[in-house]
Amino acid sequence: MTATLTPATVPAAAPAAPTTRTKTKRDIPTVVVIVLVSVALLLLIGLPLGKILVTAVSAEGLEVAQAMFTSPVNRKIVVNTVILGTLVGAIGTAIGFAMAYAQARMKFRGKKLLHLIALLPIVSPPFAVATAVITLFGRSGLITNKVFGLETNIYGLTGLTIVLALSFFPVAYMNLLGMLRSLDPALDEAASGMGANKWQIFRTVTLPMLVPGFGGAFLLLFVEAIADLANPLVIGGDFTVLSSRAYIAITGEYDVASGSAYSVFLLVPALLVFLVQRYWSSRRSIVSVTGKPSGRVREIEGWARVPLMVVVFGIAALIVTIYATVIIGGFVQILGVNNTFTLDNYRYVVQGIGSDAMIDTTVLALLATPIAAILGMLVAWLVVRKLKRGRGLMDFAGMLGLAVPGTVVGIGYALAFNRPLVVGNVQLLPAFAGGAAVFGGAVAIVMVYVIRSMPSAQRSGVAALQQIDPAIDEASASLGATGVTTFRRVTLPLIRPALLSGLTYAFARSMTTLSPIIFITTPQTKIMTSQILSEVDSGRFGNAFAYCTILIVIVMTVIGLLNLAARGRTPVPVAASGA
Amino acid sequence: MSARPALSSPSARYAGKELTMATTQLTDSTEAFARHADIGRLRLTDIVKEFGQGQQTVRAVDELVLDIEPGEFITLLGPSGCGKTTTLRMIAGFEEPTSGHIFLDDDDIVVEPPNKRPMAMVFQSYALFPHLSVRENVAYGLTLRKMSGAALKEEVDLALTSMNLLGLADRAPNQLSGGQQQRVALARAMVMKPKVLLFDEPLSNLDAKLRVQMRLEIRRLQKRLGITSVYVTHDQTEAMSMSDRIVVMNAGRIEQAATPDEIYRHPASVFVADFIGRANFLDAEAVSVTPRADGHATARVRVLGRDVEVPAHPACVAGAGVTLLVRPESMRLAPVEVASPGDDVLGDHGRVLSVVFYGESVEYEVESEYGTVVVVVPDPSTESILAEGDAVSLSFNSERAWLLPA
Repeated sequence: MTATLTPATVPAAAPAAPTTRTKTKRDIPTVVVIVLVSVALLLLIGLPLGKILVTAVSAEGLEVAQAMFTSPVNRKIVVNTVILGTLVGAIGTAIGFAMAYAQARMKFRGKKLLHLIALLPIVSPPFAVATAVITLFGRSGLITNKVFGLETNIYGLTGLTIVLALSFFPVAYMNLLGMLRSLDPALDEAASGMGANKWQIFRTVTLPMLVPGFGGAFLLLFVEAIADLANPLVIGGDFTVLSSRAYIAITGEYDVASGSAYSVFLLVPALLVFLVQRYWSSRRSIVSVTGKPSGRVREIEGWARVPLMVVVFGIAALIVTIYATVIIGGFVQILGVNNTFTLDNYRYVVQGIGSDAMIDTTVLALLATPIAAILGMLVAWLVVRKLKRGRGLMDFAGMLGLAVPGTVVGIGYALAFNRPLVVGNVQLLPAFAGGAAVFGGAVAIVMVYVIRSMPSAQRSGVAALQQIDPAIDEASASLGATGVTTFRRVTLPLIRPALLSGLTYAFARSMTTLSPIIFITTPQTKIMTSQILSEVDSGRFGNAFAYCTILIVIVMTVIGLLNLAARGRTPVPVAASGA
Repeated sequence: MSARPALSSPSARYAGKELTMATTQLTDSTEAFARHADIGRLRLTDIVKEFGQGQQTVRAVDELVLDIEPGEFITLLGPSGCGKTTTLRMIAGFEEPTSGHIFLDDDDIVVEPPNKRPMAMVFQSYALFPHLSVRENVAYGLTLRKMSGAALKEEVDLALTSMNLLGLADRAPNQLSGGQQQRVALARAMVMKPKVLLFDEPLSNLDAKLRVQMRLEIRRLQKRLGITSVYVTHDQTEAMSMSDRIVVMNAGRIEQAATPDEIYRHPASVFVADFIGRANFLDAEAVSVTPRADGHATARVRVLGRDVEVPAHPACVAGAGVTLLVRPESMRLAPVEVASPGDDVLGDHGRVLSVVFYGESVEYEVESEYGTVVVVVPDPSTESILAEGDAVSLSFNSERAWLLPA
């Protein structure tokens, strides 16, 4: 047992450049997974985006892009888009905060119910709100005209803002609620110990701490608003925004190049916001530094809560009214005009083309959901655990499906998959999208569903994985497990709750998405959301309401079943024997 | 993985005793895991680990060379950032050395991924699988080897029994105390019959009393099984009490690798002397240095105007800068009137700066012309304890001193 000291005979040059670099053997199954996931991402999002960029910088595309600054018509469209995004961002964040603050810091009855109402817009199809708002507040609206005798024009910026803010505020609500709940109540206690009253605490402690949350919510809503296609088509009137302009260019004018150019103008702000968000969340926010919340939140009671309660319950009432309109509207001839009960709408939907659409949509969404969830979890696992270099890139690529506006994804898919993929003279893939494609274009639709809903699975997976001590993975490896075995036997069971919420969200999103689908639907494959659009377009609101109701019922049923299935298997053994 | 040897016959593994003993008591069943004495030789040659790229490259481990004997208990000890954990993780395979080789029984394992290395690690955070019961945690590695049924149950029961965990087998990890969780982690590692056991600060999450108890338990277990063990800690008491050899690391290099006794009494550098235990460094002047047969040297030093003969590090050179290490318990201190005979008196007087009573000892800080000197007096009688401001004379036991190159 001689003391082995560092040899003094090491040549002086050695430390700078070690002669033989050690290269560890890679864990083969993990490498296979990395390659497969990379190929999948490349196919699902890389190829469509690449096609759009190539088309946009083609000669015709560049011409349109130039006109974006020179033509007053186009300039107006850009300005419109920015105005809409800003308004929706601000109002949606305000509503979200009001709801979240009431939920987290106030004492009142019906909290659970209010929470559910606030989440309702997430699971509903894109037209439910718009159509109902037209019925309620339009020129011959139930409320504006029948109750107040007004002749309002809801089409345009006003209607769009109301509809989009109501549709998207749940995102802000969830984010801000999470932040409020993670604020350490001890901070409030410290402030009140120094003599601050409730209002001062709110103004000087709570609000400043939430600033990053406000910023994040605003940006998210901004992007959602400018990326939305369904509502501008339904309620936009002559208020044209980039997404509806791109849609008209492609489906009305058959001008792919300018459609691509418009969508690139959508893509840029969306990606910018996405990158800003990533930068923000990569720096530790003030909220997360406070550590484990200690102490107890003192909920606000008494008269102080009245103003906020009025606002919050007002919004809740509006949401309930809107969904009641959707449900009742399906059972009457023409809501507000001829209120006689009828099942004609449902008959039309269920017996006509609607039944095909229902089955097609549900089957395709059910196919896409597990793929999206597994792919999202795999990306999360690679990003958090396995990749050293390239983890940022893979995380970014995975999130692109969410960051890129649906309109852009749709146009990209139409460009990339309408024709077979040929490299050299070899056909690598058949056409996935369009009428001549394999399976009637269903493959492309499933792909769109997967790439659109995968990021939410990825995000919840990343969050869940970061909670798990890396040593647990290492323990598994040191006991002889390969990376993939560890994923299957340790990681997956531990992130199952996250996986489940990823699955539910993925399914709801697939069922209710329109903007990417509308560019690649075919006569053979009928999708409910695009059917609803055509019903709304032709003024058959009753049918649209019936469709929406059925869609909501399907989504709720599947989510319920998923939750039931999960409850059947409790992961942690709770047997306790006295030792 | 099939290369891992089965080391004892099933009949030898019988653990017949009912377990009612206190948790510290390990049973004879651990004998069943005992192994041949020639398996588990670990050799690290010229290991370099660099983090970062280009200008920002940081060398965490620098040309490290270390031979570990089969069955040896080695502790890597050092301040945070010294590279000890990185070294352990390279042995386990969780980090890839920038260059260098790791040999296990003559096989170069440096290219193998962690799951192919016949080693098991015990983690600071225990790293138990929260979704599995205690039994399932221990069985995990064996089921990966496709073991099942009665054979699996027997092995797992044996490991559980030897760690006194049989009664807790069906509990979830979060229903156990910290000490129990750590024992599950140990059982889970042990059941794999690894050639090498790795410990990454396994006791630092336990409270002080339990830590002392687990320390003994781990060491006893390791001795019985004879499994080569590499143990990382920053706690020197842990290192001193458990190790066959301590490897003191600093800035990615090994400062000294030797028995606890050697490390404490004959540290190879001022860093080691300062890091292990407490040290007084006295300015001295080497008059002559004579090599000794045991590899050390004897030096005559002038300290405080007197010539004293002390043991010395062989690298000390007469006339060059040296410093004399005297541990606080080797210092003597007496009220000025009574100088204790037989000790080599330092010479001058000091004044007591502070007095701390620990029960089993009293610790004084004495201000003298050689700086502040710490003196520990064991087993003090109440009357003998001096007060702050008392004038004292300082001396030390020259056989316990150690001369180091400054």
